[in-house]
Amino acid sequence: MTTKKKRNTICFYGVAIVLAVIAMIPFLWMISTSFKSRGALMSIPIEWIPEEPTLDAYIKVFSKFPFAKTIGNSLFISVSYTIITLLSSSMAAFAFAKLRFPGNSLLLRCYLATMMIPTQVTMIPLFVIMNKMGLISSYASVIMPSVFRPFAVFMLVQQMRTIPNDFLDAARIDGANVFQIFGKVALPLCVPSLATLSITTFMESWNDYLWPLLMLTDKDKMTLPIALSTLNGQYATEYNVLMAGSLISMIPIILIYIIAQRQFKDGMMAGGIKG
Amino acid sequence: MKIRKLFSLIAFVLALALVFSACGGAQTPAQTDPPQTQAQDTPTETEAPPAEAEPVTITYCNFNSSGGNEETLAKMVAAFEAEYPNIKIEVETIGYDDYFTQMQTRVAGGTAPDCYELNIENFAAYANKGLLAEITGVDVSGLNDTALNAFNVDGKQYGLPESFSNVVLIYNKDLFDQAGVDYPTDDWTQADLQNAAEKIRALGDDIYGIWQPITYNEFFKVVAQYGGALLNEDKTAFTINSPENLEAAQTLIDRVLVSNVQPNAVQQGGMGDWDMFMSGRLGMIPTGIWAFQTFTDGCDFAWDIAVEPGSTQKATHFFSNCVVMNPETEHPQEVATWLAWLASSTASADIRLEAGWDLPALKDLDALSSYLEITPPDNREAVFESLNYLVLPPVIEDYALMSDIITQKLAAAADGTITAQEALDQAQAECEAQIDLG
Amino acid sequence: MKKATKDNLKRQGAGLLTASPFLLPSLAGMVIFSLLPLLISGMISLTDWNGLDKLTDPDFFQKHFIGLDNFRAILTSKEFWNALGNTAEYIVLYIPSMLAASLLVAYLLSRPRRGIGFFRVIYYIPVLTSWVAASLIWKSVLAPQYGALNGILGFFGIEGPGWLLDEHWAMPAIVLVSVWKDAGFFGLILLSGIVGINKTYYEAASIDGAGGWTKFLKITLPLLTPSIFYVLIVGMINSFQLFPQIMIMTGGGPNGATQVMVERIYNYGFRYYRMGYAAAFSWILFAIIMVFTAIQMKGQERWVHYDD
Repeated sequence: MTTKKKRNTICFYGVAIVLAVIAMIPFLWMISTSFKSRGALMSIPIEWIPEEPTLDAYIKVFSKFPFAKTIGNSLFISVSYTIITLLSSSMAAFAFAKLRFPGNSLLLRCYLATMMIPTQVTMIPLFVIMNKMGLISSYASVIMPSVFRPFAVFMLVQQMRTIPNDFLDAARIDGANVFQIFGKVALPLCVPSLATLSITTFMESWNDYLWPLLMLTDKDKMTLPIALSTLNGQYATEYNVLMAGSLISMIPIILIYIIAQRQFKDGMMAGGIKG
Repeated sequence: MKIRKLFSLIAFVLALALVFSACGGAQTPAQTDPPQTQAQDTPTETEAPPAEAEPVTITYCNFNSSGGNEETLAKMVAAFEAEYPNIKIEVETIGYDDYFTQMQTRVAGGTAPDCYELNIENFAAYANKGLLAEITGVDVSGLNDTALNAFNVDGKQYGLPESFSNVVLIYNKDLFDQAGVDYPTDDWTQADLQNAAEKIRALGDDIYGIWQPITYNEFFKVVAQYGGALLNEDKTAFTINSPENLEAAQTLIDRVLVSNVQPNAVQQGGMGDWDMFMSGRLGMIPTGIWAFQTFTDGCDFAWDIAVEPGSTQKATHFFSNCVVMNPETEHPQEVATWLAWLASSTASADIRLEAGWDLPALKDLDALSSYLEITPPDNREAVFESLNYLVLPPVIEDYALMSDIITQKLAAAADGTITAQEALDQAQAECEAQIDLG
Repeated sequence: MKKATKDNLKRQGAGLLTASPFLLPSLAGMVIFSLLPLLISGMISLTDWNGLDKLTDPDFFQKHFIGLDNFRAILTSKEFWNALGNTAEYIVLYIPSMLAASLLVAYLLSRPRRGIGFFRVIYYIPVLTSWVAASLIWKSVLAPQYGALNGILGFFGIEGPGWLLDEHWAMPAIVLVSVWKDAGFFGLILLSGIVGINKTYYEAASIDGAGGWTKFLKITLPLLTPSIFYVLIVGMINSFQLFPQIMIMTGGGPNGATQVMVERIYNYGFRYYRMGYAAAFSWILFAIIMVFTAIQMKGQERWVHYDD
């Protein structure tokens, strides 16, 4: 029994570590590149440890853009975007998963269908609509689309469907109205999914580039990806600065990820799948 | 069951209509806007002529300063604003990769900036669709004629060449010494190049004579060196598979497949062309003068440059960006003043040269003398010498489509899938089928 | 009969009243940000619009209308079928490998082991890594002669192919990189499905004396099917819309072997200035995805277990 357990442990960590290395390789290269000078960017075989490490790229990132302002803009947009997405999508998902109304499944299908629209050709029409609404160069133009996020709705519908109806009925018998059932029964049972969703939504909004670029023509509203994209020139790209900037821009997402994934702990204990 | 479905459909349509009407409501004020502004405009016009002292702000959008030259552009703007205190420039710098996507969206959406930058590939598409204003009332006589002509459509100057770069033959002196070949001179031909390349290739398994991309961009120039062209003179028909062009294509392809003085994709092993040169494994590389700085930093061997070799004639590349004016701008005169200053003033040229950021497209080479003092390369004059042989890319409206078709066929020929003849025949047929030169 | 219908309607009316406050925000968003632009793009697909002339021009439609010409031209072009075939090849290779990889990731991450929080962060790193950095590295890993992958294969005496440079291996190479990038994302979604499973099921099974593997097969997998279904649908939609990795790694080459639908749409719309054609192309793509999703939706009744 104990040898079997030991073998399992070795197996587990063996597989886990191999996967971790594969996952990390480009990330390590990003780190190493961000400490290189301009001349030593791409060489084959890859130079993993810079011969003359330098902080130039980081200094350049911080001196090139109004960094605090840019990060502030990005944070404001992404946090608002995530909160609105979570609210609006969980409400819609609750209606689809647990309320009976005519056209329920038809409407859900419409939601799904909109996920299949290639955005490349709806971009100009949407731009024109935003222009007509007078929203160009406003934060709203970038944040407002978060009220409709079919991927999020769909994911939460899938989660809410696994909530036993008995739970909801019990609350109803206790005299709760539909809003209380949503807020006090359904939502808490979706915490792992909401945590996942907040990571993925925040990340998407944080990294979103083309739409903010089109909308936020005002320099004061520039977000981090827009700032980083100006490192890409016609003939050359400053990869070391780009990598330094990308690494810095990963930090908030990793922090949110670490916080959000704590929500899994309870669930995992509850799951109690032991080896 | 059927009734339920019908009902749900109605409910859905109702909900749609509700939101639509909400949208319509939001739009109504916008529609009544024009009369209001008109009403406001009339009194001001009758009251007094617009005060001249009031500064005018114009927006300028560009990609060329991204990737390291934003500060240089800011310096230029400051110099311009000092000279013209009544004009303020608001600069928007956007990364190259998505510049044209965003510009197209803004043009189509009717919110383009007052003036902006275009590269030569996209210029024709904008100019031929009537999206640019003719730039008049400014002196542009100081600009290089070839470059100026590139942005002239039917006698109208829709763009000013704002900067340009050309291509020279860069070579590794050490490899030439080892192979015992004389350095390239300005009167070299493709035959001399082939000869030198073969001797350098013989130095080692991993050492190659030359690397030259077998793509559309390289092809239209080499074709000109053999006296050919991709289009007939008045640009009404494709001549992609002419005998001259075939000879040019065959020369390029044979260097990979026959003499192998140029590595094929597998031999190249995913390494970039500049990296190969900097690692000392390439004898020659025809490439842009924007490589000088990188090569100065990255090469631990001696290198120099020469004018590209020709065949029946010489032909050299140039890449030029131009600045254009939005016909809807409210300040055409101020925009023209700024664009002309940016492209052709000595003040702007000096700032540009000092930063080592492309070349200004000036006729008067003396203004560029400071450029010659920087070494390496020692033979920097070759950059200017090359200007005597400039060929224009065949600018047509469907430029990108044509170049993609030709590049794809040449790539197939370069890996031996089809012959050079087949590649050109197929490219000719596809271009004829898909592009209306009308 | 009549009365029953009436009652039914009344009840349904009440249901709509309850549901509408929950639905309204996202419904309004759908109309403005999705349906309206879609409608406009549908109109564009019937025109020869170049994507540059002003869309707001009042007689835009009269000026550019060409009927169904775009659709006819696309469906009879070799290029469309090539792009569709390449997309299909991608899906066939990608979906099973992505699902296997993300199940493995989710399974590993759901184990109550020491240091699991660390691995959870590490496995999500590829999702966060920018495509620019990822593609530079993967290109060098997949390089034929000096690349790491062929080096490893060579160690086992296998001569590796040219990967991204080889017509037959370029698409599998793209799949490989995509799975690397996406496994963390879909793994996280499956993981949240796993931890959301009601613990009482496991307790009951433990009493019955079931082991870890049995529990995974008999409890975790069936109860995970809604999440798996989500991953399948989203994975498939994403595959049909495959784009950034293609643009950045092969640009559609070699010899058109990795030209896919959205890459064509982008090029026609924004490089060749044929937005009408691009719009028609994307409506065809839209229709294809709809059909496939509808099939999966129908099929879900057979294997997806909901708790209601």
